[in-house]
Amino acid sequence: MIQLKTILNCIDNSGAAIVECAQIVGQKRHASIGDRIVVVVQKQRGAQAEGMASSGAKVKRGDIRHAIVVRTKQRVQRRDGSVIRFDDNACVLINKAGDPIGSRVNGVVGSELRKKKWSRILSMAPMQA
Amino acid sequence: MSTTPLARRPLSCLKASLRQARQHKLLTRPMATEATQRTTTPPPPPRRPLEHNFFPLTDRKTKALRSAFAVYPSTTVAGKQALRPPPANVLQSLHEAQMKRMDPTGARTALFAKTREAAKVGDVLLVTHRRGGEPFAGVCLSIRRRGVDTAVLLRNHLARVGVEMWFKVYNKNVAGIEIVKRRAKRARRARLTYMRQPKHDMGSVADLVFAWKRSRKVFSTGKPAAAAKAAKGAKGAKAAAGAKKK
Repeated sequence: MIQLKTILNCIDNSGAAIVECAQIVGQKRHASIGDRIVVVVQKQRGAQAEGMASSGAKVKRGDIRHAIVVRTKQRVQRRDGSVIRFDDNACVLINKAGDPIGSRVNGVVGSELRKKKWSRILSMAPMQA
Repeated sequence: MSTTPLARRPLSCLKASLRQARQHKLLTRPMATEATQRTTTPPPPPRRPLEHNFFPLTDRKTKALRSAFAVYPSTTVAGKQALRPPPANVLQSLHEAQMKRMDPTGARTALFAKTREAAKVGDVLLVTHRRGGEPFAGVCLSIRRRGVDTAVLLRNHLARVGVEMWFKVYNKNVAGIEIVKRRAKRARRARLTYMRQPKHDMGSVADLVFAWKRSRKVFSTGKPAAAAKAAKGAKGAKAAAGAKKK
């Protein structure tokens, strides 16, 4: 249930750690797993290098990027009646064309991504649930 | 009315003759229309009269007119066996029929019945999908007993993120549910939602599942058939058997 101002974890190696939802792309409802959102990078990964921008990170604090929701705390029901729920909200940053900015994904992602045609992210993830 | 047909006869014969000529002209077909007039479609069927200004309802099978005032045979007078009354508890009988269809052996029912051998909250369960994917293991937080809609809530940690899943017990895609580890002491709650708190969280159950698989000689090469069976995940009947073994 991702909406305006929701804080999400960014689980790829793009350099962002914490992002905030600024808009949901293409629909008027709240976003769920596999939906595209616009986010603002709030915290960069690698907090020890504070003030030192461009430590290999592709995105900076304050950047506005697109992202795909990969985990939600809100439960998501599947076609066969099973329901999945994660303990946090997480996303993966993408560019305007829909390609992931990072090169790897750390952590489990929801398999609803396959239904929403984000199999590129699914193949990068170590496991899906 | 005193007017007779004689009185209504036209007075001038010019009008009558003109009318006659007009009708005669219609009978004589011109050459242009003669060819086309041969292939005339059969005349439309005569319109059925309207019954009491109702729209005619045509029965699709018999093509007969249906009256809006249908009379059905009585269920009580004609014969007592004509229409059996519905069972007292319709929904319950429906659920029983569905459960029988989804679980002919009764293994799924037995696994979550309220017996000593059945699975309980706090046990670690392993659910195997028929449609590929990795089997999902987790500690059972609650059992939702609703007839054919009976479901279990499992919680686990995958890559250090808590994941909870509901599984429908009578789902055909759920190939098997096995008890990996029983809780040492009976839980004193029906729903162990407190296990979501970091203080009470069990963490990952992967090591428990690993140990259980090793105890069942899944990884050994001694009995490949048995190992393959166990790794594939037991079906409904085997799930109950596994439950009884423990």
